[in-house]
Amino acid sequence: MDTQFLVSTSIILLTFALYIGIAVYNKAKATSDFYVAGRGVPPIFNGMAIGADWMSAASFIGLAGTVMILGYDGLAYIMGWTGGYLLLTFLLAPQLRKYGRYTVPEFIGDRYNSHTARVIAAICTIIISFTYSIGQLSGSGVVIGRLFEIDAKVGTMIGVVLIAFYAAFGGMKGITWTQVAQYVVLIIAYLIPVIFMSLQITGNPAPWLSYGELVGKIGELDRELGVSEYFAPFTNGTKWQFMALMFTLMAGTAGLPHVIVRFYTVSTMKAARWSGAWALLFIGLLYLSAPAYAAFSRFILMTKVAGSQISDLPSWTKSWVDTGKLQVADANGDGILQWKEIIISNDIVVMATPEIANLGVFVIGLVAAGAMAAALSTAGGLMIAISSSFAHDIYYRVFKPNATEKNRLAVARWSIVIATVLAGIVALNPPGVITQIVAWAFALASGTFFPALLLGVWWKRSNAQGVIAGMLVGLGVTLTYIFLARSGVTLFGIIDTGAGVFGATAATIANIVVSLMTKAPSQKIQEEVMDLRYPEQMTFKDGEVWVNDDVDFKA
Amino acid sequence: MKKIDRAKADQYFKEKNRYMALYLVIWLVSSFGVVLFAESLSTITLNGFPFHYFMGAQGSIVIFIILLYVNAKVSDGIDKKYGIDESKNEQISYGKTLDH
Repeated sequence: MDTQFLVSTSIILLTFALYIGIAVYNKAKATSDFYVAGRGVPPIFNGMAIGADWMSAASFIGLAGTVMILGYDGLAYIMGWTGGYLLLTFLLAPQLRKYGRYTVPEFIGDRYNSHTARVIAAICTIIISFTYSIGQLSGSGVVIGRLFEIDAKVGTMIGVVLIAFYAAFGGMKGITWTQVAQYVVLIIAYLIPVIFMSLQITGNPAPWLSYGELVGKIGELDRELGVSEYFAPFTNGTKWQFMALMFTLMAGTAGLPHVIVRFYTVSTMKAARWSGAWALLFIGLLYLSAPAYAAFSRFILMTKVAGSQISDLPSWTKSWVDTGKLQVADANGDGILQWKEIIISNDIVVMATPEIANLGVFVIGLVAAGAMAAALSTAGGLMIAISSSFAHDIYYRVFKPNATEKNRLAVARWSIVIATVLAGIVALNPPGVITQIVAWAFALASGTFFPALLLGVWWKRSNAQGVIAGMLVGLGVTLTYIFLARSGVTLFGIIDTGAGVFGATAATIANIVVSLMTKAPSQKIQEEVMDLRYPEQMTFKDGEVWVNDDVDFKA
Repeated sequence: MKKIDRAKADQYFKEKNRYMALYLVIWLVSSFGVVLFAESLSTITLNGFPFHYFMGAQGSIVIFIILLYVNAKVSDGIDKKYGIDESKNEQISYGKTLDH
């Protein structure tokens, strides 16, 4: 056992002990604790919890590598995954909070007064969250596997046990505070290496200010090598693919059930707005740093590693070559490693960078712990979404309305355990790379929930038949496009990861057309939708607006 | 509960939405707009970056964050202007949620 292994393992065990300790301390006692943490989480902490819930293995491990390899085209992920918070916070979160339900399927079922819509929404939640969690579990498998130097499959199984334990035990209340701790761990782990690299390369400790010149320099190096410039737009796909991917990630963000549910854990509409702002600030810290990470790593690889003797490569290259994620074959046999002869997988850039930049054992261990925090926190949130869809929306609201609270909690806990194990089994042989699986989950969310929620909140005429048609058409179109694109049939060069743009358009049209062709929703429901326009102290009833007696309404 | 003039209530709603529409236009221009004209914007340089790259990596995100805080702050101001009291909201909201 070497020092690196001991240091990494102790940091990971220490952080795990912290998460489990928090989960045990906040063990859920009542149903509302389990689903929405008793609805009293302060916005700033809710922002951190949203950040951890949101930033998955794909963000932590994959994002910087994706930008490094795709150059400008990788920035579609950066803009898409942040810009969606505006749609969510402006158009959906406060209104959904005022409606005051536990889950997204519950909002859809009650707003449209339809058990069919409720069950379809619950099934969509399960499909989306399940797809997403496959990516997380295979991500945690890679990290655990490399760390303990065991097969990634065994690593995945260890991840399954950990996630099943704390998600089932703590519920939303435990998860909230665990996620706050996980956010702190993951952001420190992400920022320390990038700050040190910035100091090494530019002499400035603020990477965000210092790497601009470097991007220009990398472009010059690329020109000398005769490869396309790093910052040149649309070299790895069409402009339409860039915008379709950006739209899919934005609309998907606004429709992801496990993120929306975090806005139910605060107390008011105002707190929901502030949660959105804090969340994007905390998320932005990582997303602003990822392109800096990418530029520094690429610069080091181009200037320090490329051009050296093949017999004289730094020691870190060997361990990554062994994993199959890095290839440094001397293709032209001149004994020198050229830039074109390096093939690096985007999944290892963040994990390997502390070694590339020679930052020492402590930082390497910290990055491993941060990656685990990102994978576990997202997987935990996804499992809560799956279990509440099943135990609350299907089992309790549709089949057993008189089930006892104890009974419902038991069903919720068992559905977490079963869902985690099933996702773990699929993750042993994942159907695609991590970022791709995650993009499919976003495409499905933008094709089903985004139109259903947007029209549900902003258009009182939308009815049950409309939303059912919309969700089914959106799901069908998105899935069909993903399969067609993977077999080579595309429109405007838009590939499978941009499928959400077609799903969302089709679902919106279906919802509007079918709603208009059928009977308008009841007066009561239309008034409930009007009511979402106003703050808590105002109520829309019988075609009039009412305020509480103690309000001095000024206009 | 007392009834208020519908027109005044709508004024509250419209005022909020006007700001939101403005934020969404800025959001659209700083993301999709910049991408649409990426090639022509790449000739401008900012802090070492070509402009389109700067917007993708930093500019748009910073604008998004600022818009969210401005929205939260301005909405608070509108609530206050119309006499809405957040601590009362908290009490109402707590009791009003559907509890199963």
